[in-house]
Formats: sequence, structure tokens, C-alpha cells
Amino acid sequence: MPVMDELSRLLEHPAIWRGVSAARMEVLPTGFRALDERLPGGGWPRTGLIEILVSRFGIGELSLLLPALAALTRRPMARWCLWAVPAFPGSSFSPQTSESPFPPAQDSVHHCLLEPFAPALVAHGIALERVLMVRAPVSSPRAHSRGTLWALEQSLGSGACDMAMAWARGPRAREIRRLQLAAERGRALGVLFRPLRAATEASYAILRMKLESAASGLRVTLLKSRGGVRGSVELTLRTSGN
Amino acid sequence: MRLRVIRPVVRAEESGSHAAIPLQPRRLSLLGSENVRQGLLDCTELWIGMHMTGRTEESPGSPSLQQLAIRAQRFTPRVSLALPDGLLLEVKGSLHLFNGATGLMGALAEEYTEVARTSSCALAPTPLAALLAARWGKPLVITDKAQLIGQLTHLPLTLMRWPVEVLERLARMGVRTVGQALRLPRAGFAQRFGPGVLADLDRLTGRKADLPRLFRPRERFRRRCELTYELESTERIVAALTPLLAALGNFLRARQCGILKLECLLQHRHAPPSSCVLRLANPLTDVARLTELLGERLNALELPEPVRSCELRSGALVPHAPASHSLWQPGEQGGEGETQSHELVERLQARLGTAAVYGLQVLAGHRPENAWGLREPTAQYTDTGIGPPPWAAFRRPLWLLSSPLLLQEKAGLPQRRGALRLSSEAERIESGWWDGSDIERDYYIACDIHGVELWVYRECLPPHRWFLHGVFG
Repeated sequence: MPVMDELSRLLEHPAIWRGVSAARMEVLPTGFRALDERLPGGGWPRTGLIEILVSRFGIGELSLLLPALAALTRRPMARWCLWAVPAFPGSSFSPQTSESPFPPAQDSVHHCLLEPFAPALVAHGIALERVLMVRAPVSSPRAHSRGTLWALEQSLGSGACDMAMAWARGPRAREIRRLQLAAERGRALGVLFRPLRAATEASYAILRMKLESAASGLRVTLLKSRGGVRGSVELTLRTSGN
Repeated sequence: MRLRVIRPVVRAEESGSHAAIPLQPRRLSLLGSENVRQGLLDCTELWIGMHMTGRTEESPGSPSLQQLAIRAQRFTPRVSLALPDGLLLEVKGSLHLFNGATGLMGALAEEYTEVARTSSCALAPTPLAALLAARWGKPLVITDKAQLIGQLTHLPLTLMRWPVEVLERLARMGVRTVGQALRLPRAGFAQRFGPGVLADLDRLTGRKADLPRLFRPRERFRRRCELTYELESTERIVAALTPLLAALGNFLRARQCGILKLECLLQHRHAPPSSCVLRLANPLTDVARLTELLGERLNALELPEPVRSCELRSGALVPHAPASHSLWQPGEQGGEGETQSHELVERLQARLGTAAVYGLQVLAGHRPENAWGLREPTAQYTDTGIGPPPWAAFRRPLWLLSSPLLLQEKAGLPQRRGALRLSSEAERIESGWWDGSDIERDYYIACDIHGVELWVYRECLPPHRWFLHGVFG
């Protein structure tokens, strides 16, 4: 046994990187034990870009991040936590456009926008003084998408953000690569929410997961992770939520 | 304050004589700041005013005032614009280079041959007097301050370009020339027409110092390079651009400036030139980063033909003060993110608009619309003193629609991509009777067929319509 002890102590050395455990990675607990066990290092990475693919907007992707958001914004030396607010106007909620999980970003008839609801964020323990909202121009879907990705890259690379997240419909692989590099440069966690059909595309994100609604809540399937355990896990968000 | 000044004595050594020559006493007697300024004015300034008749801000087909000002810098470095139709040149220092005033006026006329017919020049010890005389159209040359007022006497007051009502009132009083205006009592004049008008007169006569803003031409970087071979690949084009970019770097470093816009023009044999414009969020001087950005931009560019020559054109120069770097990496223990956080907010606001970047706050309101508000995007959060929400027993959605969306109803249930399943009891929100936006609603949590939880409500009053108001997310 002493040999094993010595070996494990040796493997704790920060210069040694092991694919399976990734022991030295700085992580942030997700707040869900079943998910922590699957993720490399036991939580969300603190640095890098992660992609969360959702079948529908609002399926529970934000609730999944809430415990981590609350913990991040409540730290003593917290930096910004930036939300690139999706500007899905009214048409998104009309039945005609049900084929796309991410509704179009323009409708001249109903111009109603989604706003993060501050009382609910506070109720979930998020410190609002560290939350920064950015809304890219909603004149056209293209301008909105470009503005959103630009804001995300700037904030990830600036070093002023702990975390930045955005809902994007179709970023190209090169843009995702740039986001990942920016996140490493600024030591920030970038979260990109994308539609489920992006699962077939290659991506530079260090962690990719797929969210689907399940009977008991949310089914999380890891698509790509550096040293995590593949497979899916079911989480119950709804009852634990406030 | 009266200062006693010792008059210095300089011995003239040349020609063997030892005569003591006292320096000009006037320059040194500090009897008051006004006198000093007047003394300085007397001996150091001489202005040429140029007036272009009939010129407006944008006169088509003629060189702009800025272009004329750049050419005027041949005669003196102190040139200023008198918009929209005048130029001022301070020429005291350069008179001897052009054989005096007449020689200088001749050189000016030669320089500006194309506008000679519509322009006139005059020389005077104060800028306003020179401009006025030029507007009058007579080639006045006043080199002595003592003669200034005498020469200006006959000039009509309309040349001062005062407001029409001032000129009309003066005309009704019988005051039509500069001389007549100067003879009026100062106190009464200021009281009737305002101190600004009196100050104009003072600046005209040199009683008050007048320092027109000097014209500085806008600098830009522009350089072209002809290629030995026609190039097609982006990497080779970037390599060919490298010396130009290095020159740009030196240019910017020498001026302590950065640029916000860089244009790269690529010329082809037949096709029209391709242009690739780089716009930057903050002033950039770093050549390596410029090269990287330009390379990225060129990669995205589709070239119709191989490139024969390339040209770099910078936008306007922006003063750039390089900031010191932190010892720690941002986000590291001990690293402070305050400067970065301001920079980030500024950069985002610069591109997306001030209103597009904001923070959130909780307000004391029971209606969902009134329970939150926007605030300035600063990390200093003024606590509004609102405790935990009183409705903690009820769930609230993470996303709220800025205006509720009407839902169809079928068999008593709201519809959205199919029937919604109500999964909670009703929560009644009834408030706002005092300010006109009275609401009376029963809120429910509903689940659509895809498993998305929505916050819907039904009006308590007829016609009992269903609305969507939030997404739980």
C-alpha cells in the first residue's frame, strides 16, 4: 500500500495531467451531485467554453446553471457575469415558427422582448450587482447574432468577466474557436446555448452537453468532455427550484 | 500690484564700442497683466486675414477650407480657420522671409491663384481686425498698432457679423461704422448689447487678447506597395503587407496615437480593387495584433483576381495612452479587475449603444412588470432596501416577456404549439388600482408539449383571455 500512496502523491503533481481524472482542473460545483460525478474535475470548468445544446429554448438550461451562477456572483472578488440577452420578439411565441427551437429575431407585429426577471434571479441567490446584461441590436437576425458573438468574445477575452453566456443560433466553427481562445485568455467560463441540431457539427468547446426534457425533469447527455464520463444523467430541477 | 523691475543692460561688444543699450522697457514693465498682454500683442503678433467671398461650408468644385489651411502652413505654422469662409495667418515671424508685408501678400496671391478672384487679404495686428478688413475687400496693410483704430473707423459694422437685431438697434441709433461704435460709452454699450458684443470690439482693437484656435491638419497613414509578382494566397499578401504594417507601427508610435479604422486596398489587373476594412473597438497601436486582425479579415475576403498591388489607409488618429499592466493575471487571486471591467462596459457600449448594456435591480412592486428595473452597469449596487420577495412561496419565471402575449384558447385551456397543461394552482395578482394600470390576473405554471415551462395568466374579468407572460428557462 505505501507504494500506492506514493504513486497517488506523485500523480497529484500539478505538472502531470491525466485524461480520466483531470484532478488539477479548477472547477465550480454544479449544485447537482449526479452531474458533478460525470463532469471532469467534478464540476463546471472555470476557464473555457462550454456548449449546451437544447431541444427548446427555456427547457431548463438556465435552471441548470443557477446554482453555479449564484456561487460565482457571491464570491468576494467576483467579476462580471455577463448575459447576452436573447432578443426573441413576439413571433417566437407564435405557433407558426414551431419548427425552429430558437425563434426568429424579428417580427414587426409584436415587438416583445424577453427580459431576465430580476426578482427570480435574486430568489435563486444571484447577486445582481455582478450581473451585466447586453442586448445586441435586434434589427435583423444576422446583426443580432453578430453583435451577440462579438459581445461574448469581447467579454470573455477582457479579463473582466467570470462568466459570459449567450444564446446563439448558428455560430461557425471558427467563431467558436475564437470564443474558446478568448475564454482561455480572460480566464473566464463561456457558455453557449445552441439548438440541438448543432450536435453533429464539430466544435472546439471543451465541454458539450445535450439537454432534453424527461419525465422527472431534465436529461443531460455529455457529448464531449475532456476526461469526463460519457452517458446521460437525469436531474430533477423543477421541484428543487424555488 | 506694482513690481519694480531692474532694467537689464546688455553690452554691445561688436565694433569695439562699449555702449550700454537698455532693453525695451515696455516688455519688462509688469504693471498689470493687461499691460503685459497688450505689450506682447504690440510686438509679437501680426495677422493676415483671408476672406473667400460667397463660400459656404460645402462649396462644390473648390478646395475646402482645410485644404487651403494646409497650404497656408507654407507661410506660417500658426494658421487658424475662421469658419465658414475665412483663414487667419499669424505672420510676424515670417515677414522677413518674404521681404516684408508686400512680399508676403504677393506670395500669398501666387499660392492661391485659383481662388484669387473671389478672395481678399488684409494684414492687421489683431486677428479680428485682419479678418474684418479682408471681408471689407480693400487690401489694408496695418503694421503699426497705433494706426489700427484709425484705419478701422470707416469699416461698416455689418462686417462684425453680429446678430441682426443688434445691428438693427445700432443702425436705429445711427451707429453704422466701427468708429462710431467705438465712440460709445463702454458701460452702456455692454448693458444694452451684452458683454459678448463689447468683447468682440475689444478683441478687434486689441484691448483684449484674442487667441484663435490653431488649425492642425488631420494626419492619416497611407502607403502603397507594388508587388513583384501577382499574389493569390492570403498568407503571401499578409507577408507583403508586413513592411507597410511595420511602417504604420512606427508612424503611430512616433505620434503616440492609435487608430480605430484601417483599410486595405488590393488592386487587380482587371477587376475593381477589393477593399478590406478593419474597424477596431479601441485605439490600437500594436502591429502584431493589427497584422493578426488584418490576416483574419483577409481570410474571409474572396478575391476575384490575383493581387497586383496593395495599399494601407488608416482612419483618423486617436490619442492613445498605453496603460500599465497588472502584475497578476485578471481573475487570479490578487488581480484586480476594476479597470478591465470599466473598459469592457465602455467597449460594449461604444459598439452596441449605451442603452444596450445595463444592470438589473429589484423594485418594490407586486405586479411582475413593476417588480424589476434597469440600472447603470456599475458594480456599485445601491441596495434598494427590498428584502426577500414576499411571494417566496410561489415560483417566478427567469424570463419575463416585455408585453404579455395573447394565447388561443381551446376547451378552456390555453394553446401554444398544442394544448398547455396547467401544473400549479392559481396565484392571483391584483394590484395597481391607484395608478391606472390596474391588473387582476390568475397566474398558472403551464407546461407545453415539449416540456418547456411557461408562466401564463387568465384575466379575472371578462373576456377571460389567456396570456403568456414568462418562460421559466
